[in-house]
Amino acid sequence: MSAAVKTLVNQPYKYGFVTTIETDTIPRGLNEDVIRLISSKKNEPEFMLEFRLRAYRHWLKMTEPTWPHVTYPAIDYQDIIYYSAPKQKAKKNSLDEVDPALLETFEKLGIPLSEQKRLTNVAVDAIFDSVSIATTFREKLAKEGVIFCSISEALHEYPELVQKYLGSVVPIADNYFAALNSAVFSDGSFVYIPKGVKCPMELSTYFRINSGDTGQFERTLIVAEEGSHVSYLEGCTAPMYDSNQLHAAVVELVALDNAEIKYSTVQNWYAGDENGKGGIYNFVTKRGLCQGVNSKISWTQVETGSAITWKYPSCVLVGDNSVGEFYSVALTNNYQQADTGTKMVHIGKNTRSTIISKGISAGHSKNSYRGLVKMSPKAEGARNYSQCDSMLIGDNAQANTFPYIQVQNHTAKLEHEASTSKIGEDQLFYFTQRGISQEDAVSMMISGFCKDVFNQLPMEFAVEADRLLSLKLEGSVG
Amino acid sequence: MTTQVSPKREVGYLSELLQQRPSLDVQAIGAETVAWLQEIRDRSTPIVRELAIPTTRDEEWRFTDLSSLLKVNFAAAKPTSPLPDISSLVLPEAAASRLVFVNGFYAPELSSVAGIPEGVFAGNLWANEIPRWRDYLAKLPGGQEVFSALNTASLTDAAVVWIPKNRSLEVPIHLLFVSTAGELPTVSQPRCLVVAESGSAVTVIEEYAVCPHPQPLSHRRGGQEYAAYLTNAVTEIWVGENAQVTHARMQREGEEAFHVGKTAIAQARHSRYTCCAVSLGAKVSRHNLEIFQTGEGTETILNALTKIAGEQLADTHSTIALNHPYGTARQVHKCIVGDRAHAVFNGKILVPKPAQLTDAGQLSRTLLLSPKARVDTKPQLEITADNVKCAHGATVSQLETDEIFYLQSRGLDADSARNLLINAFATEIVDRIPIASLRQTISQIVRSNPIS
Repeated sequence: MSAAVKTLVNQPYKYGFVTTIETDTIPRGLNEDVIRLISSKKNEPEFMLEFRLRAYRHWLKMTEPTWPHVTYPAIDYQDIIYYSAPKQKAKKNSLDEVDPALLETFEKLGIPLSEQKRLTNVAVDAIFDSVSIATTFREKLAKEGVIFCSISEALHEYPELVQKYLGSVVPIADNYFAALNSAVFSDGSFVYIPKGVKCPMELSTYFRINSGDTGQFERTLIVAEEGSHVSYLEGCTAPMYDSNQLHAAVVELVALDNAEIKYSTVQNWYAGDENGKGGIYNFVTKRGLCQGVNSKISWTQVETGSAITWKYPSCVLVGDNSVGEFYSVALTNNYQQADTGTKMVHIGKNTRSTIISKGISAGHSKNSYRGLVKMSPKAEGARNYSQCDSMLIGDNAQANTFPYIQVQNHTAKLEHEASTSKIGEDQLFYFTQRGISQEDAVSMMISGFCKDVFNQLPMEFAVEADRLLSLKLEGSVG
Repeated sequence: MTTQVSPKREVGYLSELLQQRPSLDVQAIGAETVAWLQEIRDRSTPIVRELAIPTTRDEEWRFTDLSSLLKVNFAAAKPTSPLPDISSLVLPEAAASRLVFVNGFYAPELSSVAGIPEGVFAGNLWANEIPRWRDYLAKLPGGQEVFSALNTASLTDAAVVWIPKNRSLEVPIHLLFVSTAGELPTVSQPRCLVVAESGSAVTVIEEYAVCPHPQPLSHRRGGQEYAAYLTNAVTEIWVGENAQVTHARMQREGEEAFHVGKTAIAQARHSRYTCCAVSLGAKVSRHNLEIFQTGEGTETILNALTKIAGEQLADTHSTIALNHPYGTARQVHKCIVGDRAHAVFNGKILVPKPAQLTDAGQLSRTLLLSPKARVDTKPQLEITADNVKCAHGATVSQLETDEIFYLQSRGLDADSARNLLINAFATEIVDRIPIASLRQTISQIVRSNPIS
């Protein structure tokens, strides 16, 4: 293919700048004292420290998973800074007290936090390294009874709620990275939607890694009470460093009777340069629990960044008639590696799940779909439909699918389809023959390929995601 | 191909099995053959010593629990006398081209090679022919996992089929491995080697079956008619350039049997390999099917049917390792699972960079007939070449109630309607069995064992 596609893929990463800011950083390394230090810095209730220490002790006994289809040098967990926060006076009561340098950073990232400029219908929690900087629209949300704040604040203001749900979906010893996160997580978002409330606006969290040697370990917890509804979006960027950085987050969702949670991610961490140097290791555990009857959890993800992505947003469908959905676009270029997919665990009767996964791999990247659909013996009438399509751009890229299908109930019905293809020469020819440049043709075809997933994203972000994808791919087809 | 990560466990069990291997008889087969076989055995023995019986912690054996195997202490099977009656297993199409092995031992009295034309070889390891076989026996690519290594380390005899260049064999060759389950648990390790030289064509039926023991058992043990037995089979098939091999593999072991089989195929340029594997028997069975493409433009067609009930477990792991351009692969794997049975399927298709213009399709379909039936399936694609067409699909379901209703509305009772639908599901594969009489037998078995 042409050089046009090559330039299309190799767009520079425009979020790669570093903000110079005075920070409060703890020494490198991890031990019980570090955990106590993090806990005391955040002035946490006693149960939290216990939670962390329990997780840490479990973590020590665990080994790093080796089954993902990715390779990376061993991570030295003692060489990571587990807490780094921008220095600021006491507590920020209004945005005026937030360091202007930080506000400017977020503005540069396209996330204006100041009142006048913010998007009218999206509330944002901005997280910078280890702490939450600001949460917008809190008052307006509070009127509806919706709680949207950083998890550190939630620990002070609503400790019972946090204690009740934290670790209930992803137990502390769930996996290696979840255990590490449980021990050292620094901040994240907390969302609570009370009974019968339809959240009036989109909620979103923006994660920014700034410092070079810190790991980011955030924790998000969303609880949707009976009959409530929420749509939540997260975005992520990081500066360009030559070293790899670890990002191990945990996201837990709980949906009670008739509740619905829609969780969308646009992940654009720094992916490393064209030789695979630097970039974020994105080892994330995301799981939603459809606890109540008729509840619904829907994951939508657009994964374009990170040197390595290891992430399986899952749904545990416990409530009868509950619904799980997973829509994903994973794009890898250069030396990126992605091992991502989902787990749908059907437990309740008549539970349904849909999986639509689109993988695009270019350059020397590896893109694997790994999914599990499990129908337990009690999942009468459960239903699953999975579709995983891969597109290969260039013959050094790899696309793999590892779908695990485990059915223990004969009334369950399951379908799985997968295909792999490339951008057809004749399709390209057709476009160019109609006067559309090759580059535009490729980006059109890719957005057509991903349409099923983009349609699930909230409006503003769908446009953004489409643009992001074509930028990322600039120059790789050709 | 199969990597194993288990640390060394069950050391005693494996070395016990290794101890049980038959010794090589210099007088019967000659010193030269013994030396050659010993050399092959010696290459594999250390591999067996390195490895362990896999557990469910090994990815390749995640769903197949062998702990019931470990509870049985197997002794080497012995040649039986008198020989069992195999008349029900004889195929009229291959009446004069049949090799029979009883408990792993060649039984010339039961075999018939009168119909094998000159130039074609079908028989057991035979000293005069050995120089030709040296390059083929135990020479297939792919790593050895514990069971095939154990087979190779115990190599004593083999069924060999050799089709010379440009020869198309009309008669099918029937390789029949019969076990006569006796009072004590026994192990046999059959081995096949099929070499189809360039431009040749052959149909081979490989069959594993159980025969009642010729001598009545002195006492029946707790409702169980026969003791358990283990068949650990390895088949190597070399398909030369432009050659064509049609392979039917029937596994009809006894109810108490453990069956572990490996079929490895090397496909040269423009060759065609068609396999129809049917698994009906055994308490626990595992079939590893590995295809290695050694030249471009190959065609691989794999059809498989598993029909199990009771407490049976049937596991198929297939790998199609492409490494050259213009390959075609078609795979259909069907399972019918009743009662508390458990079917496992893992189908890998590897398409590395050199395998451009590959066209691969894989379909796994499972019918679950009872509330306790269970299936674990994993169609798996690993693709690096970009100019390829690859697709896979998997479905799991029960019988459609609408379809049963439709048939009932036409006057069929519920059971007949169900059986008709189950047969229809199986027919897609059964119809592809290359031999008419075998097709009939299998279709009868599928029909006569209605699963409720």
